[in-house]
Amino acid sequence: MFTSNPFAELAAFLPAIAMQVYIVLMIVAVAVGTLLDMIHKNSGKFFAEQRKKSKAAATKKLSGAESASIAVKTLAYEVATAGEFCNMQRRISHILMFYGFIFYLVTTIVMIFGYPTHATPTPAFIPALWNLGVIMILIGGYWFFFFLRVNVAQDGQPVFRLVLADLFIVTLLGSVTFAFVWELVQTTGNLAATKIAFGLYILFTTLLFGSVRWSKLAHMFYKPVVAFQRRLDEASGSSSLPTPSTRNELS
Amino acid sequence: MPTFVYMSKCDGCGECVDICPSDIMHIDPTHRRAYNIEPNFCWECYSCVKACPQNAIDVRGYAEFAPLGHIVRVLREEAKGCISWKIKFRDGREKNFESPIRTTPWGSIKSPADYAAPSQDAFETQELAHEPETLNIDQLPELTPLKIKDGVI
Amino acid sequence: MGFFTRRKTVFVDSDILVIGGGMAGCGATYEARYWGRDLNVVCVEKANIERSGAVAQGLYAINTYMGMQWDENQPEDHVRYARNDLMGLVREDLGYDIARHVDSSVHKFEEWGLPMMRDPETGQYQREGKWQIMIHGESYKPIVAEAARKAATKVYNRIMVTHLLMDETKPNRVAGAVGFNVRTGDFYVFRAKAVIVAAGGASHIYKPRSAGEGMGRTWYAPWSSASAYALPILVGAKMMQMENRIVLTRFKDGYGPVGAYFLHLKTYTENAYGDEYESNWQDHTRELVGDYVDRLPVPTCLRNHALLQEIRAGRGPIRMVTKEAFQDPHKETVGWENFLGMTIGQAVVWASQNIDPKHTNPELTTSEPYVMGSHATCSGAWASGPEDCAPADYQWGYNRMMTVDGLFGAGDTIGGAAHKFSSGSFAEGRIAAKAAVNYVNDLGRDQPKVSEAEYEALKKTVFQPMENYEVGRNEIVAGTVSPSYLLPIQGLQRLEQIMDEYVGGIGSNYTTNEPLLTRGLELLEMLKEDLDHLGAEDLHQLQRAWELNHRVVASESVTHHTMFRKETRWPGYYYRADHPKLDDTDWHCFTLSRYDRESGSWNLETAPVHHIID
Repeated sequence: MFTSNPFAELAAFLPAIAMQVYIVLMIVAVAVGTLLDMIHKNSGKFFAEQRKKSKAAATKKLSGAESASIAVKTLAYEVATAGEFCNMQRRISHILMFYGFIFYLVTTIVMIFGYPTHATPTPAFIPALWNLGVIMILIGGYWFFFFLRVNVAQDGQPVFRLVLADLFIVTLLGSVTFAFVWELVQTTGNLAATKIAFGLYILFTTLLFGSVRWSKLAHMFYKPVVAFQRRLDEASGSSSLPTPSTRNELS
Repeated sequence: MPTFVYMSKCDGCGECVDICPSDIMHIDPTHRRAYNIEPNFCWECYSCVKACPQNAIDVRGYAEFAPLGHIVRVLREEAKGCISWKIKFRDGREKNFESPIRTTPWGSIKSPADYAAPSQDAFETQELAHEPETLNIDQLPELTPLKIKDGVI
Repeated sequence: MGFFTRRKTVFVDSDILVIGGGMAGCGATYEARYWGRDLNVVCVEKANIERSGAVAQGLYAINTYMGMQWDENQPEDHVRYARNDLMGLVREDLGYDIARHVDSSVHKFEEWGLPMMRDPETGQYQREGKWQIMIHGESYKPIVAEAARKAATKVYNRIMVTHLLMDETKPNRVAGAVGFNVRTGDFYVFRAKAVIVAAGGASHIYKPRSAGEGMGRTWYAPWSSASAYALPILVGAKMMQMENRIVLTRFKDGYGPVGAYFLHLKTYTENAYGDEYESNWQDHTRELVGDYVDRLPVPTCLRNHALLQEIRAGRGPIRMVTKEAFQDPHKETVGWENFLGMTIGQAVVWASQNIDPKHTNPELTTSEPYVMGSHATCSGAWASGPEDCAPADYQWGYNRMMTVDGLFGAGDTIGGAAHKFSSGSFAEGRIAAKAAVNYVNDLGRDQPKVSEAEYEALKKTVFQPMENYEVGRNEIVAGTVSPSYLLPIQGLQRLEQIMDEYVGGIGSNYTTNEPLLTRGLELLEMLKEDLDHLGAEDLHQLQRAWELNHRVVASESVTHHTMFRKETRWPGYYYRADHPKLDDTDWHCFTLSRYDRESGSWNLETAPVHHIID
């Protein structure tokens, strides 16, 4: 079950082209949503001004090579290992969701475009990776939702009182949970139940990618840029923070 | 001089919510990041600023009397036992300071229960724990009759 | 409460309950463990003890240190100093008791890791003044909190205590307290054999100079919500000297400290035209207070008085002359670090206005009044004194026990022991704790019992503001104006205005009289009735609501005391225009009050001031 392509089964009630168009629409939705968000907040102008201020305050000019090396460090640490999180539990939960989502997304696209029907048999490792991704997202996501959200863990809010900041995690969990449910239901052969589960999967997925303008999804673009800028500031001396002390640790 | 939180630096860890003596650092429902909900109850104690692992909190002096453009930033390095300050005036002048904050490792204080238990007699005296040794004099002072003035004015 | 949540009641049992985790509370917690090895010692704090209380941002000096090990001072010298500063009216037994113990607490602080400055020549602690030593105290509170955490059975953070509970088996005996969790909304019932109140004194009972954001920059922490007074008052404990509010002369707007400037940097004040002014007012002040003005050091209130007179004469602003001292780089560093280690806001003000004390002499100002027990003032609960030196009528039980059995106090809570500051508050916490341990041990089988009827009724009372808001909110579309409930900030602003206009705030030049005080009490009475209609939108607002309730109780006490003392004992703190002079014939005494919660009436009386030190 976990090694067979669930999207290939859709041919029972959906032409392959439908899913392919849907994927393209979702990519466009994310791009448009992010762009609308930036236009609405005029954040493009804000970031440009910040860069100017930072350059003006710099005490040291960085070469192209130095900036490139900082970009690589940002990718390797902040992006790849979720290095900004000081709380280890949040860091692990984020890594699970981040890599889980990458596995899930890539394999979804590969299966829908590369192996759309049974005519093109799917190598077992691809759906296996898809399921691994789904499970990683579910573990990291539900752990985050019930135990790690700061407004619940630190600020005393009840778990089920949802706020706008929850839009991303709720639609993500809804989407991936119903992806999993649909895959399981589909193996029973019950067409009606499969259509319902699949419908819910598509509903939450559409909400997830369609609500980018209002949700925290766009932070996946902003955060690495900001982390890169912060490293640049530290390296070029334009940070307003005091320089760290040269003392040794207390012993 | 109330605090504010930088959107791009805050990752919503909640340390500031936990430490604020005034209970005014809370989580914004749209971004799930911290912000100051009641600047008019902010003492500018900098507890949140110092506690933030991302240095995401800063201060802007109270609007009634503090013109814009100043910076007072801090780096508290607990492990090294010191704190550093950078002050930038509105006109650009800068002052930097560094001070010690502790001479012993964090967590190293000996529990009072780890000292020998006081004798039954000790309960009857005026001496507190570790006295008279920690007074660094021979015995706890008391008012001898010579020192006591009788009566009321 | 929501569909999936229920308000829990949590019971916490202890032998000793310490209410408040500030300097006094941490001292009490530490000492309670030393003497009560097997006792259950609980400390409860409405914030987080790591940074709670007035020492949140740190301190740059320890203002009460004898230095007995170097023959610098003796405890009786400190009593004379405090007595002089308070115009003769202090509990000399309590003051002596703290002064003889305080050095050992300071030495423990150093042992625990507080960086002390040392005189390069003598190797002794660096003196700022006769009683003060200089420290790098940014982490003073975290260090002391660590000691308390090591000692406590458990520390409860983010629980606001709203009421004490009385014993249902014996009259006039405390049995515990109730409160609520500021994060979860759970109701807490603390059952204890002894209670030590070490909460905050009263800031924000008078209108501050800044009314917008700037109202946060009070001199005394804005979270000192007078719980130290309200909790004992409401169970009938006698209070003393609640009229003895303090007004501070500090740097303008930021209220940054001036102690290190005067004492260590040797700066001095001048009026707007560059003239010395204090000596101008000597004769005038002697008319009011007699030879108290000639005693040295000049009492704090009288220095305020001279400054206020000079400003009224139109020769303000008063400035601190710093240009000379700041030419010395060491002194300049001390001057700035003095703020960074205890009142960072002042550094912010100067940075924002381009004030560099090397080139500008900064302005001073007087604050609004505060009521507290640990500074150049000593309002608070009337407590039994040390067994070996308290006069008979100052001693009715265990040391630092109030007139309610089992109810102890320390720090800003306890009246009469002026000039204890941070180290003295910590020492007083220790004193109260040892006494409380003895009290608990002596109880034997005769243990207090809380009344279920009382705490169930209080549960309703505690959360009433939230119900008021929820229900009343249905009446209006939106916004802050409701005809049926009052937001806590609105109630606070009314309180501050009443006190400012009628009980000697800044707006009335610190002056009041009997007609004003009478009217003030009438308005406070109406405010008290309106407190039944406070509306709290969430748990944070509920905390603000209870802070307001405590502040109003304390303000009522302050007003009654101010009315009762028919003299002006501390010109510069406040003036009774109808009794403008100091009167040692009739008023060289303490004022005591007791609130009776059955009848709601206040009873005021005097108590003699025994001078046990010459």
